[in-house]
Amino acid sequence: MTQSDIVLKADKIHKTFGQVEVLKGISLQARNHDVISILGSSGSGKSTFLRCLNFLETPTSGTVTLHGEEVVVRNGKPANPRQIEQLRKRLGMVFQQFNLWSHRTVIENVMEGPVIVKRETKADARDKAEALLQRVGLTERMNAYPSQLSGGQQQRVAIARALAMEPDVILFDEPTSALDPELVDEVLKVMQSLAGEGRTMILVTHEMGFAREVSSEVVFLHEGRVAEQGPPQEMFAHPKTEVFERFIAKVK
Amino acid sequence: MLELFALGDTGWGDEILRGLLVTAELAVATLPVGILLGFLAAYFSLSRVAPLRALGFGYTTIMRGMPEILTLFVVYNGVGMLLNALIQWWNPEAGAVDFSPFAAGVIALGMVFGAFAGEVLRGAFNAIDPGQIEAGRAIGMSNSQVFWRISLPQVWRFALPGLGNLWINLLKDTALVSVIALDDLMRMTKVAVGVTKQPFTFYLLACLIYWALSVLSELVLAAMERRANRGVRRAA
Repeated sequence: MTQSDIVLKADKIHKTFGQVEVLKGISLQARNHDVISILGSSGSGKSTFLRCLNFLETPTSGTVTLHGEEVVVRNGKPANPRQIEQLRKRLGMVFQQFNLWSHRTVIENVMEGPVIVKRETKADARDKAEALLQRVGLTERMNAYPSQLSGGQQQRVAIARALAMEPDVILFDEPTSALDPELVDEVLKVMQSLAGEGRTMILVTHEMGFAREVSSEVVFLHEGRVAEQGPPQEMFAHPKTEVFERFIAKVK
Repeated sequence: MLELFALGDTGWGDEILRGLLVTAELAVATLPVGILLGFLAAYFSLSRVAPLRALGFGYTTIMRGMPEILTLFVVYNGVGMLLNALIQWWNPEAGAVDFSPFAAGVIALGMVFGAFAGEVLRGAFNAIDPGQIEAGRAIGMSNSQVFWRISLPQVWRFALPGLGNLWINLLKDTALVSVIALDDLMRMTKVAVGVTKQPFTFYLLACLIYWALSVLSELVLAAMERRANRGVRRAA
């Protein structure tokens, strides 16, 4: 692995809420085309960690590096707050609750970032949005409002919205946890096709099948630390730690 | 009886209409002042900076606790005196100026509207889905982009019913300015009653006019609410 392969690097991320230290120094590296699944039981800090990567949660300390650009945090304050907006433009995020803008139509949701944040022309943004909506299979619902869509459809729009920014890495925060069971597959299929085309992705998930079959690396968090990490096949076949073994047994 | 309402010198129609115009002008001029003060009050009371928060809550508490008519007197007399003191200090040769009752009305009613609107807007901003705000931040929007593109377009949905109430209150509160000699609908009605000795006729007329203004406002507000609620699923 050469240094230049590394797209996103998190170094010794700590996060304390009040007296509770939720993240106790987590480090992680994503190379180009990596699909990293972060697993862990509830309270392990996995969502908090993911949210620290794009500073929706400000770490107490640590460094996030995207393509060599370092954002350093000490004492809960980023050294240079201006970097954060720049970082976010290049990191896509897909939320558990979709978080589509309810006052805008499907296509407006997808166009918003390119037009407002990247200052692209509306015509360009519309062309791109149409192509992305076709990709996630929602061309017919282009002019609907989010409230008129099913959860699975909303999540696919949210993925198109993230893709429209042409991000270097896409973060997924439990993207299928709020979905009815029969709608999970349509979202997983889109994610799988993104992985297939070589997108760099980091996801927090409870979908063991997906973590096992699609991801290139699995990171298992336990009580705010990385308990175990490695290639999924090996990890699931031969868990090294007792906590991970118990975790797999429980979710099976 | 109709000749009482005739336009021109013989009846009171033109006076009443002029009064109605002053009432409408006053309400329309006050609305933007009130909304602006409301946004400032909401911004201050939602601020993370403690002194700003205290300022926001202080303003709302004081204005809400004062009778509107007292606010009007304080502004009309107090600001008038302050203005004259300032002019005297600037140029001792200058004579006294009169503070316009219309301006006093706009400021006083605007301050009252702003205090109540601040509370309505504070609640409305708090009601916006925080996930949608996070989605804006996550895509790289600045705080002001989040405000203009996500919060502001959605805040009306939660604030319109409350602001609509305040607007109708404002329409009726304009009648208070008749006590500081502004020739609004209420004052012209009183003048007509004084001259003709027909209180029932003219008060009923004024009543119908105020009511018509309210109904008209309610229709416009209903249309605005429909627009603000586009894309929102109604509870069945």
